Amino acid sequence: MAEALFYVLAALAILSAVGVVRARMPLFSVLSLLGTFFCLAAIYLLAGFPFLAAVQLLVYAGAIMVLFLFVIMLLNLGDAAELERHAGLSLSGRRLFVAGASAALLGLVGLGAAELDTGFSAATVPGERALDDLDTLARLLFSRYMLPFEAASLLLLATMVAVIVLAKRQRGRPGVVTQGAAPAAEPAEAAVGSAR
Amino acid sequence: MNVPTDHLLALAAVLFALGVLGFLVRKNVIIVLASIELMLNAANLSFLAASRHWSQTTLAGQGDPTAGPVFAIFVILVAAAEAAVGLALVIALYRLKQSVALDSVAELRG
Repeated sequence: MAEALFYVLAALAILSAVGVVRARMPLFSVLSLLGTFFCLAAIYLLAGFPFLAAVQLLVYAGAIMVLFLFVIMLLNLGDAAELERHAGLSLSGRRLFVAGASAALLGLVGLGAAELDTGFSAATVPGERALDDLDTLARLLFSRYMLPFEAASLLLLATMVAVIVLAKRQRGRPGVVTQGAAPAAEPAEAAVGSAR
Repeated sequence: MNVPTDHLLALAAVLFALGVLGFLVRKNVIIVLASIELMLNAANLSFLAASRHWSQTTLAGQGDPTAGPVFAIFVILVAAAEAAVGLALVIALYRLKQSVALDSVAELRG
């Protein structure tokens, strides 16, 4: 059962990854990416990593995906003119969108099935622990991987500063087109909030 | 789940190859960033496949099964930071060029 589920999820992950690369519009590409994230989270759950499956959903399907969609919405890409230009391909784009959305949905269903599956096996096999046991993981992060952990916190701080500097509206800077730049100040803060 | 490690690694390789393809072929910066996320996910999958491989009882003591999840967490962290900075760059680029096509930023081409 679990094996068959894995191969179905793997096929879906590859299909939606093809959608990421092939999609005409960035929106369809990013939604296909969401399907890949869901399928991978279900695979993590099946492989015995429930915590990482949760992190995958929270950070990738939650924060990073919202960031991507927010920027696409902000920049107003994939407007009517572009749709017009790719009129011959818009059908395949729409089909890809449907494929991506159904991959996301099926991934979600697979996630539920994987949860049921691992839940049952954990109940029937006593003493079996998750491979990413939170206790072990936390101890390791604060002992053996202390230095990378601190470096990671520095990286996040640098990211926050960099994102604010990059996305802030720069007044009076020569050569910078300020047209259409007015709503750009808030997304920087949203980006920082999601990155943490 | 009794799937061999090879199959998990093969899935990771296919996803990584698709990410590289998208990174090299596509011209839209946002799709290029999505391809990078795909590659980071493939790397994560191979980390977890290795961790699962070394946790098998027949291989006990030969490898460290705890390193995989820790590295996967760091990769996810770096991916989040990369996405935030990359998308801020996209916003800055759009403000400068009114476009997100990579062809529009060819100033350094000799």
